[in-house]
Amino acid sequence: MYKRFNELNFVIGLFFITVSLILLLNNFFGSALRGKINLYTGVVFLFFGILMILIKGEKK
Amino acid sequence: MKLSIADYLVILVYFAFVIGVGFIIKKKIKSSNDFLSSNRSIPLWITSLAFISANLGAQEVLGMVASGAKYGIMTVHFYWVGAIFAMVFLGVLMMPFYYGSRARSVPEYLKLRFDEKTRGLNAISFAVMTVFSSGISLYALAKLLEVILKWDFDISIWVAAGIVMIYTFLGGLTSAVYNEVLQFFLIVLGLSPLVIVALHDAGGWANIKAQLQPELTHAWKYMGNAESNPMGLHFMSLIFGLGFVMSFGYWCTDFLVVQRAMIAKNMNAAQRTPIVAALPKMLMPLIVVLPGLIAITLMRPALQSKGYSIPLAQDGGLDYTMTLPSLIAHYYPSGLLGVGITALLASFMSGMAGNVTAFNSVFTFDIYQSYFVKNKSDRHYLYIGKAVTIAGILLSIVTAYIAKGFNNINDFLQLVFSFVNGPLFATFLLGMFWKRTTGHGAFWGLVAGTVAAALTHGLTVAEGKGGWITGLYEIRSGMGQAFIVASISWVANFFTTILVSLATKPKADEELKGLVYSLTKKEPISKGKWYLNPVTLGIMLLLATIAFNIIFF
Repeated sequence: MYKRFNELNFVIGLFFITVSLILLLNNFFGSALRGKINLYTGVVFLFFGILMILIKGEKK
Repeated sequence: MKLSIADYLVILVYFAFVIGVGFIIKKKIKSSNDFLSSNRSIPLWITSLAFISANLGAQEVLGMVASGAKYGIMTVHFYWVGAIFAMVFLGVLMMPFYYGSRARSVPEYLKLRFDEKTRGLNAISFAVMTVFSSGISLYALAKLLEVILKWDFDISIWVAAGIVMIYTFLGGLTSAVYNEVLQFFLIVLGLSPLVIVALHDAGGWANIKAQLQPELTHAWKYMGNAESNPMGLHFMSLIFGLGFVMSFGYWCTDFLVVQRAMIAKNMNAAQRTPIVAALPKMLMPLIVVLPGLIAITLMRPALQSKGYSIPLAQDGGLDYTMTLPSLIAHYYPSGLLGVGITALLASFMSGMAGNVTAFNSVFTFDIYQSYFVKNKSDRHYLYIGKAVTIAGILLSIVTAYIAKGFNNINDFLQLVFSFVNGPLFATFLLGMFWKRTTGHGAFWGLVAGTVAAALTHGLTVAEGKGGWITGLYEIRSGMGQAFIVASISWVANFFTTILVSLATKPKADEELKGLVYSLTKKEPISKGKWYLNPVTLGIMLLLATIAFNIIFF
């Protein structure tokens, strides 16, 4: 797991998953007027993040 | 615009990740080549996205949205005329010489092809330009944050510069390149929801076309006459000035972008780097030009109920630079607002880090190692590279404060950059494809091109600018003036280089192998998979670009 931090796609995936969680939690607990845009963006970021993590790094 | 805890959290997470990338890369830095040129070890997808991201600074993002609002869809010419063709040319025809010569920088290629003085002229002007560009980027960031978020100017400068310094100091070029890829995804994904929501609000592309005057929604139709289009340009000026001189001058010779291709793992990857990068570049108008068109549409009487307008400048006109920040403030709720602001921060920092890493490579290899301290250990140059990174950031901060004190310095510096960059492509074109070109020819050609650029600017006036010698000729738009200055400087460089070369002694053919087209062994075009072949990819991209131009004619 720790070694995967050397892979850029893993780091990018982790970043977008973290941001998606902030957006989704903000949507659930906040009272934002346009909450749906946070929800949809959060879901897209989450899928993108997971996809990036699932991509395997290049073999050396 | 007020930020909530969620917005601040997104910004903090971003800062933590970019610094974290620096710490991860730090372990891999063992030599000056690792630090300054990534030891040619970076995979294609990273070099390609870094190639486009190095050009995706904030001036680009904010500026193109602003141009979209001001000039309409004609702004796509900066992509479909002023980028793709040059990127394909770089990949197919020029990368074999840059990469094959084993040069670590563009000035070093000039040394190998021509001589020391040509390298010195290019290296010094490039180093000065990059550090000033970085400072201007920093100033623009702090100014924007001061205007839209009421953040303190000084704190913004020192925090942003500090973060860029940490990750470039720790991981050098690799760290900057990795962060550029993260920044690319953040800018694209962070601004995409804005385009979708705002486009929906504006009634889609069909309604934009119905609401706006036709000159704003046709890229070519009104370019037959300079008077009938918002840029005030004839299509011939656009094709030669932007499509040839400025575009090829920037994409094919500016070390800031070329460096991203030079760190690829092998020749094929280096050639494909700008070509693969051209694909997202071709689609980038969706993120940076379309929002400008949407913004201006939303201000039409039929859509006034949407409650959006571009802020006014001090002179009472529209402040087009604020188009993107005002769209973000209008459409993004808390949470996503943090993503939008982070995307803007990312574009500023990406531009700054790109300039600083290009600066430290050129300074260390082409100035320090070439003129001051030769033949020292690799460890010495690694330390110097790191010290130059800090010095580059500090100089950027100084420049940012100079820009704050002198309002016109940005315009002045951009002008000087255009004088230096405009003629440069003529030197490379002749150097790579005409073996008779000499070092004296290249040097005096560059000098003549720069002087011609300054003279042309001094004799022409556009929108109150230029004419500092005498206002001999008036040009309708500043953009038109820039194209004419670049074109004349290119022609002056081209013919001076030829004339001086014919009067001076060329290098022997033996010395030019691998540096000049006619003396370099041609690799047979690969008959393998199509996506590995730069020529096939390049042709496909050019056809797609032509198709886009026809669709939005």
